[in-house]
Amino acid sequence: MKKAVIINLSPRKKGTSRMLANRCQNYLIEQNYLVEIFHLYPNIKDLKPLFEVINESQTILMVGPCYIDTYPADTVYLLEELQKNNEVLHGQNLYGIIQGGMPYVHTHESGLKMLELFAQENNLSYKGGFVIGMGAMLNGQPLDKLINGKKVEKYFSLFMEHLAKEESSPASLYNEAQLKMPGMVYWLMAKAMNRKIDKFRQEKGIEDHQKNPYEELDLSQS
Amino acid sequence: MITILSDHTKQKVGETLYESLKNKDILTEFISVEEINVGPCYSCGGCTDKTYGKCINRDDADMIFPKLIHTDVMVMITPVKWGSYSFKTKRVFDKCAVIGDRHYYKKNGELVKGKIGNINTFVAVGVKANWLDGEKEVFQNLVAENIKIMNIKGSAYVVDDKNWEVCLEAIIEELS
Repeated sequence: MKKAVIINLSPRKKGTSRMLANRCQNYLIEQNYLVEIFHLYPNIKDLKPLFEVINESQTILMVGPCYIDTYPADTVYLLEELQKNNEVLHGQNLYGIIQGGMPYVHTHESGLKMLELFAQENNLSYKGGFVIGMGAMLNGQPLDKLINGKKVEKYFSLFMEHLAKEESSPASLYNEAQLKMPGMVYWLMAKAMNRKIDKFRQEKGIEDHQKNPYEELDLSQS
Repeated sequence: MITILSDHTKQKVGETLYESLKNKDILTEFISVEEINVGPCYSCGGCTDKTYGKCINRDDADMIFPKLIHTDVMVMITPVKWGSYSFKTKRVFDKCAVIGDRHYYKKNGELVKGKIGNINTFVAVGVKANWLDGEKEVFQNLVAENIKIMNIKGSAYVVDDKNWEVCLEAIIEELS
């Protein structure tokens, strides 16, 4: 039986990354894989158990959120530690999924590029990934809740097929799934989201020009 | 005001840049991220729901953000890890949204976020002795995306052992 490990790179155990990890786990199990999901954050102080699972797996899938255009800092830490323990890396397939708030592929794609470069240097076979926009709005809900849910579902299923078959998954899949709207629609989206932010701030009693709490800290004491 | 956030580099890029700017009487703050401890952003929503605009976890970000919020130019000096920022640099960057404008804007037909504090320019300096094939381009693309999403101006420099002095001159000229 083939083995795969899915690493949840999100600090949240119940969010969109977890939902995607579960989707992939269920699909791979249907394809007769033995699959383990490993949550990075609760285990970050002792990565030995993860390295043992990686050593035994043929496929590694890293799933995580996009923080300012790439994976969070702790993903870099994980990769550094993996490089230090590179005896567990012996040509396994590496796939990535990155999801973030902005609807565009280009905003999040740097995360996948990082995994590709890591694989290049560390005896792994990078086989591609999938980028999902508006993942933050999903907040763990299924993909069909996205505005472009039908399209994302279709292309994400194709990505999972490649994953199970250990094939390369082309970037064209997530590019096709990307939400494409005229600029006017984004302007309307911005308006709607800003109204929501302002309403929330009003309810919390936060004034428009209220200083950020860090601004009020005495610089001489910091 | 310029704030340099610098992780350790063999050539002491951050320190040298700081001294050069200081010698030109340019108001510059230097923060070594190598010596500080900033925890992860847990995406807990506490900076929205509980303490609006402030992280609920106490760490050295409490020392950095009061400085960063008053700065006009943020300069990040980072060893490059597979086309991305170093762990310590990225820990700080990940948390910067806490002092950012939460609103959305439209620029060049796309959604973007607002500025971080008063920062209007972002300069990222990636340092590595031996860059992997294609890595410089990946780093430059990442920085370009950062600049785009923050809706500000900026630039990326890719430094290796050979071009370090030329890059330093170009950075100083840009910041002067």
